[in-house]
Amino acid sequence: MLNVTNISKKYGKKSILSSISLSVQKGEIIGLVGENGAGKSTLLHILATIQKPTDGVISLNDMSYDKNKKVIRKQIGFVPQDIAIWDEFTVEENMIFFEKLSWRKKSKIELKQLCLDMELDKWKEPTKTLSGGMKRKLNLAISLIHDPELLLLDEPTVGIDLKSRKEIGTYLKNQAINEKKSIVYTSHDMDEIISLCDRVICIGEDPFYKSILIDSGKEVISF
Amino acid sequence: MINILQTRLIHWKKQIFTLLFWLLLPIVTTILVTNVTSAIQDDSKVPVGIVLEENTPLAKDLVTSIKQTPFIRVYETTEEDALLKIEQHELDSAFVIKAGYDEQVRKGSRNRLITSFQSDLSFAFTPVSEMIISYVQQDTGRSKAAFTVKNLSDNAGLSKQWTWEEVVAKSKEIEAKENLLHTTFTFADSGQENDGKGITIWKPWGLWAVFSILSTLLLFDWLIKENRSSLAPRFTFIRITFKNYMVINALFYTILLFIFDLIAAGAFFLFLEEPFNLHSIGVILSYRLMLNAGAFLLALCFKNVYLFYSVSFVITLLVAITSGAILPIDGIIQSYQWLEYLNPLATFLSNKISVIWLIIFSFIIGLWHVRKEKSHA
Repeated sequence: MLNVTNISKKYGKKSILSSISLSVQKGEIIGLVGENGAGKSTLLHILATIQKPTDGVISLNDMSYDKNKKVIRKQIGFVPQDIAIWDEFTVEENMIFFEKLSWRKKSKIELKQLCLDMELDKWKEPTKTLSGGMKRKLNLAISLIHDPELLLLDEPTVGIDLKSRKEIGTYLKNQAINEKKSIVYTSHDMDEIISLCDRVICIGEDPFYKSILIDSGKEVISF
Repeated sequence: MINILQTRLIHWKKQIFTLLFWLLLPIVTTILVTNVTSAIQDDSKVPVGIVLEENTPLAKDLVTSIKQTPFIRVYETTEEDALLKIEQHELDSAFVIKAGYDEQVRKGSRNRLITSFQSDLSFAFTPVSEMIISYVQQDTGRSKAAFTVKNLSDNAGLSKQWTWEEVVAKSKEIEAKENLLHTTFTFADSGQENDGKGITIWKPWGLWAVFSILSTLLLFDWLIKENRSSLAPRFTFIRITFKNYMVINALFYTILLFIFDLIAAGAFFLFLEEPFNLHSIGVILSYRLMLNAGAFLLALCFKNVYLFYSVSFVITLLVAITSGAILPIDGIIQSYQWLEYLNPLATFLSNKISVIWLIIFSFIIGLWHVRKEKSHA
């Protein structure tokens, strides 16, 4: 489904990523780990078409990123690390706002169901009064409005309670198994990565992450 | 387009009171300031009592002339009441137009036509009495001229016989045409002159234009609030680009603000008797487009909303001072004529369609729109 071949990213002379190659199949969850500054978010931004790689080729469903950016974006759901919602709106208003601008039309019932599927039941609540976990769920729900095939999540559970973390994890697992969505996921929580991901990509030179992952028995690809 | 409007309506619903406040501010402030200053001006006029002992046309004309004089508030009353009010200092002075005024003037007599009263605190008695005397002189002069013309035509045996009224009417007509001493007081506006009758301190449309600059700038803070970096990734995955989203929303704001501009024109027509026609709608529309394009560009330059507010206040103040909308600036404009061309308000105050600034702003917006976004490569 997603094929990445030899991509690298440089900012001036500084190399952030070099010769990264990977592939993600339908229904697969890939974990992306590494120390801070290793380039996880940069890689995710490149996969999300937000940034361009300096070198390399990426394709989604055999469509090149270079020539089909608009079509590819319709198939990507990107969950940014910063919570990207309207604080002054309710959950309902946030969902409706982004649905109106989305490629795919959804009824209010469908939007509400999307929230309920991830245990976000405070439909009429102003988002500024929501807990961190609920805000993260809304952040995820908005990215799913247009039914993307590929989900790219940049630390979607950072700073939230264990219950919400588990609920988000369960939801993502269901999306991969039942809806055959492909998921690429960055996190510092190794327990979460081990329990959720089919394969793990380890970026950076710090051996710490690799050592934990080898013990877990997961397939690990290092760059 | 409808979908984007629906997203805008969600925003507007959330800020309904703020939105209405800034939309109505120019209208309400203009009406309030104009009315309050008119009332203050009215209160600051010199109160003068006029006692009319006869109801002849000449006497009535004299009273009308006095009433039309700026800075004088005339009370028609009785002699007894006028004296009482002078004693109580409610009137600055009083003038009794004696019975037989009309007859005396027609005879050319200028003695004891008017009796005047003042108190020890009458500060405006001298100029007011001089002014009334000048009106009486004018009437007696006309009357004398009428008799002279009539005598000449009688003696010359002309077939055309002029009546007293015809000569007086002709004299007034010539006087109006050959106005020798004519002073004007102008704001930087359409060149509309105010000859003293009903001078107002504030020009309503000038005030409205200044407050509109402020309200438009402050309403365009949405651009800074919605242009936050945390939301930027979301706009990569929606149907329109963020730039188009901003331009279309600016268009919605322009329509909304123009509706309120028309409400302003209607309100000023009703409450301030300001003329309202098709040309003025065109002028208002061009001003609105220029203003919104300018506000759009200014807001694009800011990331911090409070800094934007501060700059907006400063810009409004500078434009207001240099435009002549609030203070007459004939002297400054004569010395620095380029100020008139630079000031975006000048064209509007001249009742002309704003073109130059609109073209400049539109061109810059066009450049900004076609420029590639680095972050959304």
